[in-house]
Amino acid sequence: MGYVWLIPVLPLLSFLIILFTRPVIYKKAGIVGTLFSGAAFVGSLIVLFSHFQEGNYLVEANWLSIDAITLTVGFEVNPLNALMLVIVTLVSFLVHMYSIGYMEDDERIATFFAYLGLFTFSMTALVMSPNLLQIYFFWELVGVCSFLLVGFYFYKPEAKAAAKKAFIVTRIGDVGLLVAIFLLYWQAGTLELDGIFSAAESGAITPTMITIIAILIFVGAVGKSGQFPLHTWLPDAMEGPTPVSALIHAATMVAAGVYLVAVMFPLFLASEAAMTTVAITGGVTAIFAATIALVQNDIKRILAYSTISQLGYMMLALGTAGYTAAVFHLTTHAFFKALLFLAAGSVIHAAHEQNILKLGGLGKKLKGTALLFLLGSLALSGFPLFSGFFSKDEILASAFSDERYILFGLALFTAFLTSFYMFRLYFLVFAGEGKGGAKESPRTMLIPMAVLAVLAVFSGFIQTHWFGTFLGDWLETTPYPVIFSSVEAPLWIPILASALSIGGIALAWLMYVKQSVPHNWLYGSIKEVHQVLDRKYYIDEIYQGVFVKGLFVFSYFWSYFDRFIVEGTAAAMRGVVTQLGKTGVKVQSGQVQTYGAVAFSGLVIVLLVIAALGGYFQ
Amino acid sequence: MTESYLLTLLVFSPLLGIILLCFMSPKHHSIKWIGTLSTLLPLLLTIIVFSLFERGIEGVQLQQSHTWFELMTSISPNEPYIISFELGVTGLSVLFLFLTALITFLASFTAHRMKDGLKGFFIIFLALELGILGVFSSENLFLFFLFFEITLVSTFLLLGRWGGFHKERAAFSFLIYNGIGSVLLLVVIITLFVELRTTNITELTLMLKDTDSLEYLSYDARMWLLVLLVVAFGTKLPIVPLHSWMVRVHVEAPIAVVMIHAGVLLKIGAYGLIRFGGGFFPEQLQDMAVVLAILGLINLLYGAFIAFVQTELRALLAYSSISHMGIVLLGLASFNSAGVQGAIFQTISHGLIAALLFLLIGVIVDRFGTTRLDELGGVASQTPLFAGFFLAAGLASLGLPGMSGFISEFLAFLGVFKAMPVIGAIGVIGIILTAVYILRAVLAVTFGERRPSFDRKADLTATELVSSSVLLIMIIWIGVYPAILTSTLGTIGIGG
Repeated sequence: MGYVWLIPVLPLLSFLIILFTRPVIYKKAGIVGTLFSGAAFVGSLIVLFSHFQEGNYLVEANWLSIDAITLTVGFEVNPLNALMLVIVTLVSFLVHMYSIGYMEDDERIATFFAYLGLFTFSMTALVMSPNLLQIYFFWELVGVCSFLLVGFYFYKPEAKAAAKKAFIVTRIGDVGLLVAIFLLYWQAGTLELDGIFSAAESGAITPTMITIIAILIFVGAVGKSGQFPLHTWLPDAMEGPTPVSALIHAATMVAAGVYLVAVMFPLFLASEAAMTTVAITGGVTAIFAATIALVQNDIKRILAYSTISQLGYMMLALGTAGYTAAVFHLTTHAFFKALLFLAAGSVIHAAHEQNILKLGGLGKKLKGTALLFLLGSLALSGFPLFSGFFSKDEILASAFSDERYILFGLALFTAFLTSFYMFRLYFLVFAGEGKGGAKESPRTMLIPMAVLAVLAVFSGFIQTHWFGTFLGDWLETTPYPVIFSSVEAPLWIPILASALSIGGIALAWLMYVKQSVPHNWLYGSIKEVHQVLDRKYYIDEIYQGVFVKGLFVFSYFWSYFDRFIVEGTAAAMRGVVTQLGKTGVKVQSGQVQTYGAVAFSGLVIVLLVIAALGGYFQ
Repeated sequence: MTESYLLTLLVFSPLLGIILLCFMSPKHHSIKWIGTLSTLLPLLLTIIVFSLFERGIEGVQLQQSHTWFELMTSISPNEPYIISFELGVTGLSVLFLFLTALITFLASFTAHRMKDGLKGFFIIFLALELGILGVFSSENLFLFFLFFEITLVSTFLLLGRWGGFHKERAAFSFLIYNGIGSVLLLVVIITLFVELRTTNITELTLMLKDTDSLEYLSYDARMWLLVLLVVAFGTKLPIVPLHSWMVRVHVEAPIAVVMIHAGVLLKIGAYGLIRFGGGFFPEQLQDMAVVLAILGLINLLYGAFIAFVQTELRALLAYSSISHMGIVLLGLASFNSAGVQGAIFQTISHGLIAALLFLLIGVIVDRFGTTRLDELGGVASQTPLFAGFFLAAGLASLGLPGMSGFISEFLAFLGVFKAMPVIGAIGVIGIILTAVYILRAVLAVTFGERRPSFDRKADLTATELVSSSVLLIMIIWIGVYPAILTSTLGTIGIGG
């Protein structure tokens, strides 16, 4: 596995080649990018299979040494890494291919593919990093790629604002991670993962310190994975082109927060407080975002809130010691959410409309897209035997067996909400009578979706208590001290979850197809609740009013302080000097002369010093 | 040995251009090219110096020494005070020499756009370079001071003659602050000279380490001298509240001068603090570490907050520089190898980044005729190359990993978190604020709706493209492979 480093290098090459040949390569950039990301995917598959045979692999080298401080670089293959590599490169490859069709008419198509390459490079490098500094390094780089792609339509004011917001809000989280790194370095004496874990195990780090560090790391994860209260950037990030939403803001980068907690899991396991924080944040985020998704009308924003909610599920799993459950859901979610975004992109591409209230009846015109979207929705809703069913079941079982019953209840209810909002979306867009014309997307767009659909349907079977817990068994070969809690869920949990899932679908059908239940009952009955959900709990308004305004007021205060107090004092002193110059030297006004004055007074002081000290000598 | 005259050759190499220019007609069309070529010579010489400099060896290299003049005093008639012409370089100064020569060379191109008085401009411009090269090669405090004064006079003249609308005020302000700063510096130098009878930097460092020297200079006296040094070099850095002159220079001086000013001249402050403050009075510096750290924290946050509400790019970057220099102070104050290296990394990194940013601001001034944020916007439509470089420079400035700013800030904060975790924890707010104000500035220029009035504005010319690329490549190089700096720097013995 000595050639693992080629996997990130391939997309990096794609980035550089396209960047430097942009005007020449133009639309062929799509083919170049697809080939390179496809090669990276093949490489990841090879790595995956070699891992099955050869086990874990780790290589490290010195990056920077200063006295006793040594910082290393390297790359690592363990079950989690290998799995992430496959997910990232596969989705990246499919999104590259899809974008050839989707971005066809954009004159900046080459720039787009260059950015995609840079992102794939950063993301694959991130998941191969064996130390925290390197993780942080690429953590920031994927953030920049996200920023660049969210702001791809730079001339749109919304895109500009969204890009800025995405960068700054995630950076608030990143600073938490950075502080954790500083603290860890001085506590553990290294940033390499194995060193950190052995230091934690040996008791070299105090329990309080472990809790502080773990929570700070989690702050970083909260920012990246759009968890409450740092979630506000993710829905706005939908201003980016839709393939980007599928790749970065659904399948890969936003899952990096979950990945980070999974990587640092031994540290979290050592702190009950940190685990509780993760569990509660995850559980609350899951239901919080799901309730907002109920009343949104923008197809991409609904999916974005759904992503936040599902990432909350994963965090809940981690917080309740369900390592396998979290990684499992991360995997299935990557497939079905990428599928849903790409299918949504196909709708937008065909109908040039994102508002689901203005769409409708597309099932007849976009047969392929409709079917694919349906499969994705079923998987996300946890419909029995679809992938999301199995992974969500694992999470519910994990929360239940960890005796967090309130969070378990919230998660169950969220499952119901999820299938309801997804099928509200599905029925509004695809059922009923058509409104306006639409043409099915080209094959380069449909094929990637079909591949994802197959995975969205079947990938659940890698981890079931009926056929075998292949994923869990394999993850246990991790080189790090992760404790695996293998819990057999009581049978009533999957049955209840299935019932809730089907119930949600049924309710949506009654409301939006059969229309026997009035679909505006919430708006009609409790207007205030609808209002609060529609405005997303007013969180953006609160942040705007408190933090942004606060920052402006504070900054203006210091700016005026600088202008009037600091400069005023300086001006007063300048006046004194000028007066001294005028009265003392009696030269004409002018700068050079003043310089002379200053130099002269300097000389006087020098002489005085010499005189004073010279006297001391004698 | 030719080697031993190498530094003299380097320091005075700009003289060749000065002399040539003196004999040329001011109207001659090739003046600008003579000016640029004259800055190429020092650049080539610094590359030679750089390659001859042996890495991994402690102490001063490429030394040369000649007795310059003797002072007979009535105080001690038999022992004259000797002042020598001594040059030499350490790892730190070699890097600064290279930075100086490189930025001056690149800056000279931006001066080609200037309309009037090119002959005079280049003569003083080269004198400025001579001064800076001298500052960084001096092994003797008197020599250091002399070269330091040359930089002051030439900056003053460049600012006062070729500056912007309020050039007189800016020049005057520059003069007052820096004049006072150099007087304080002179007091320190004279005191050391009188007490220890030498102004050789290495000798002074060794003598002051010796406990016997406490006879001549008590702890308190040293503390006072250090305070004077901190004020003198702090004015240059600048430390808040001694900064208003520097904002004026950033706003008013011609772009070529600002590139040098922000890129290298301000770094003399950091260089002085490290070399003299840390070298001569390590014990006292350590005792005032908390004060330094708090000053650094104030710089970092004060600069960032004010930068956030600036409406003019040059002023914004001036406050940004103040903020970034706060990290230098913080790193120094941490008094451990990580922090001190971080501080040094930051001075070099910021030199490169500031030079790149101002080079690009030169392009903005030239093409769009304004540096007001509300009058700019959407230029990515018309000038995509420029927009790309400007964004990259902004990202470098906000400390993106893979660029030099990140590893500098990382090391500095790593050091601070060891020494003073609370100050570190407050300081990281600055990391968020930097992202806020940099993105605000960069996006205000490049993003947004296309402005028809900017149509048909030319993108980067070949020269601008190459200049920006050189700087950007170095920024990325250091960011990806920071060992390139540590191998040259060696161990900077500050506080031991």
